[in-house]
Amino acid sequence: MIRDRRASSSACAAAVFTLVSVSASWAQTPGPLNAITDVPGIEVGQYTSTDSKSGGGTGTTVVVSRAGAVGGVSQRGGAPGTRETDLLRPENLVEKVNAVVLSGGSAYGLAAADGVMLCLEAQGIGFPVGPNQVVPIVPSAILFDPGRCAPFSRRPDASFGLAACNAASGGPVQQGNVGAGAGARSGGSKGGLGTASTVLSNGIIVGAIVAVNSSGRTFDAEGNFYAGFLELGNEFPLAPTTGADVVPPSNLLQNTTIAVVATSARLTKAQATKVAQMADDGLARAIKPSHGVGDGDTIFVMATGTDTRDATNLVNGIGSAAADTLSRAVVHAILAAQSIHVDSCNVKSYCEQFSQKCAK
Amino acid sequence: MKASDVCAVVFVALSSVASPGWAQVPGPNNAITDVPGIRVGHFTGNPLTGTTVVIAEKGGQGVAGGVSQRGGAPGTRETDLLRPENLVQIVNAITLSGGSAYGLAAASGVMQCLEGQGVGFPVGGGNVVPIVPTAILFDPGRCGAPFNYRPNFSFGLAACSAARSGPVQEGNVGAGAGAVSGGVKGGLGTASVVLDKGVIVGAIVPLTSVGSTFDANGNLYAAPLELAGEFGNLIPIQSGPPPGMSRPAAVPGGLLRNTTIAVVATNVELTKTQATKIAQMADDGLARAIKPTHTPYDGDTVFALGTGRISMASLGDPAFAEYLIGSAAADTLSRAVVHAILSADSTSCEKSYCDLFPNACRNRKKGAQK
Repeated sequence: MIRDRRASSSACAAAVFTLVSVSASWAQTPGPLNAITDVPGIEVGQYTSTDSKSGGGTGTTVVVSRAGAVGGVSQRGGAPGTRETDLLRPENLVEKVNAVVLSGGSAYGLAAADGVMLCLEAQGIGFPVGPNQVVPIVPSAILFDPGRCAPFSRRPDASFGLAACNAASGGPVQQGNVGAGAGARSGGSKGGLGTASTVLSNGIIVGAIVAVNSSGRTFDAEGNFYAGFLELGNEFPLAPTTGADVVPPSNLLQNTTIAVVATSARLTKAQATKVAQMADDGLARAIKPSHGVGDGDTIFVMATGTDTRDATNLVNGIGSAAADTLSRAVVHAILAAQSIHVDSCNVKSYCEQFSQKCAK
Repeated sequence: MKASDVCAVVFVALSSVASPGWAQVPGPNNAITDVPGIRVGHFTGNPLTGTTVVIAEKGGQGVAGGVSQRGGAPGTRETDLLRPENLVQIVNAITLSGGSAYGLAAASGVMQCLEGQGVGFPVGGGNVVPIVPTAILFDPGRCGAPFNYRPNFSFGLAACSAARSGPVQEGNVGAGAGAVSGGVKGGLGTASVVLDKGVIVGAIVPLTSVGSTFDANGNLYAAPLELAGEFGNLIPIQSGPPPGMSRPAAVPGGLLRNTTIAVVATNVELTKTQATKIAQMADDGLARAIKPTHTPYDGDTVFALGTGRISMASLGDPAFAEYLIGSAAADTLSRAVVHAILSADSTSCEKSYCDLFPNACRNRKKGAQK
């Protein structure tokens, strides 16, 4: 046994050495905005509707690539609501997506993509099918938020998608109770919308945006974020205190975390699919449990290809960074989420539940 | 064992598979609505495009569904939730629509229609989310129509509100209104078959394919699958089109403008896994009726539904029953493709099959088979 331990410790040293050398060649810093819009050519637009009586909200977030981005998807949650995921399979014809829509409203919210399609068509953006004829390629996923503090019939429709698409721009991205994150909840706390980015040492940029509406929690019993260890710079301004609040249980069957990862790398559809699969591990590290029966967790990838290098040997690094960036975006979503206390509608944010941690 | 004994064994095995236990005749309407629990509604636009809705219910609830998505240029909604490992076990309706990906909007109208009837997956508080998987085909801008005229929310609402059991209109209607198949006018077709033990299988298909439904001479590939004279005395031909007419060489507007989408249904109670297998087998019915099929330019998508009027356990070995239902679903879908092509009417842009091959159709009384 002693010999075995020695053998494994030397193997362990070798493994640690390997890890160090990997991380050295992949030094990571956040982009200037620490947002998915740090990826050149990626724009974000959001539309939020808040019920004035109850304070309940819902909304739509659209991620636009006007030049088109090679797409992929990982759909591993058990209760998905989706559009146009079949066309993303690598063997299928269309390679580039023009936008991805994330929306509240359960399956009803898939209507938001209709408005995004009309918005893009009016700008001549889409898959060309004839002279001056385009079909915008707009994969979509929804999360469950109807009936939370607002009438069940209040949900995103085509007008939400149109407004979100018309608002799309580069630059800073609003986080928290906004867009698809407006009505989101996460493991008994207020959920929300978060974003993050990473600049790899080789110059490739990876960004993520996520609407966190999970059955699982993003933090342990003492309020420590599972993905806290992935912090870059000082992006999670939290005090190192412990102190538990009582976090109410969540409804296990009405959830779904949906996300988009974008990169400047030039990927094939098959590579984009692989990056989506690896990015999905970022949810697993930030939310526990994830991919549950009542979560429709769906991750899209958009590869803009402005970095023209052959990406064959870069996919692993991009996928790893995509996972970490998505995990960090989840933490941003929870930190930016705001409590709602209007009449009978009461849901606490993480920072209300753990006010000492957020005091910093 | 002698060779003749082997042959006898083979004969017994084959005959027990193919016939007498599973004699096949079309249902009373030779339509997917022969399957109890299935209703169909069309809305047809002008110029030609449209939406067809297939509504499925058992006891006010939805039924199990599956999908086979093998065409290379699909436009779909809610196919992910049909995977057997995913939570939702029911489907309330399937929407088939023209309009390319824009036509996915029709499903939102179907959802509103069903929600108004309280039909959907219950999510608490008396609220429902209707489960409406959807696929589209390409028809915008055909035959001089404005490219921006296409099915929207209102098409789905109207088609759903029009849904009923009984006979189903075929030809240039609903999702088949603007359809083109291998250069001739496509359309919407349906068919059904009644098997032994009360098993019923139906299919409905708007036919918009790159590939053709007929060979170089003009004979329909799936004509041999005819049941009970349903194709109306088609005459085998060796000559191709008559002098002065030529077989259309290419699909108008290019290869990108296609997709054959379909629904098959049975009255047998299926699990999601079984419905998925039935959809996969039914998809072979497209392969037998259309050549080539499932190309990069077709978004071919086949949904399967089991309305649960007959328990699988009552049919003996479930795998064997599934095998027979899947086989029948493929043949029924092939026959529905033939009905689609025979019921289509010529337009100012494309000839119908019967106008291109009058010799094949010269004994045929249009509509007489139903």
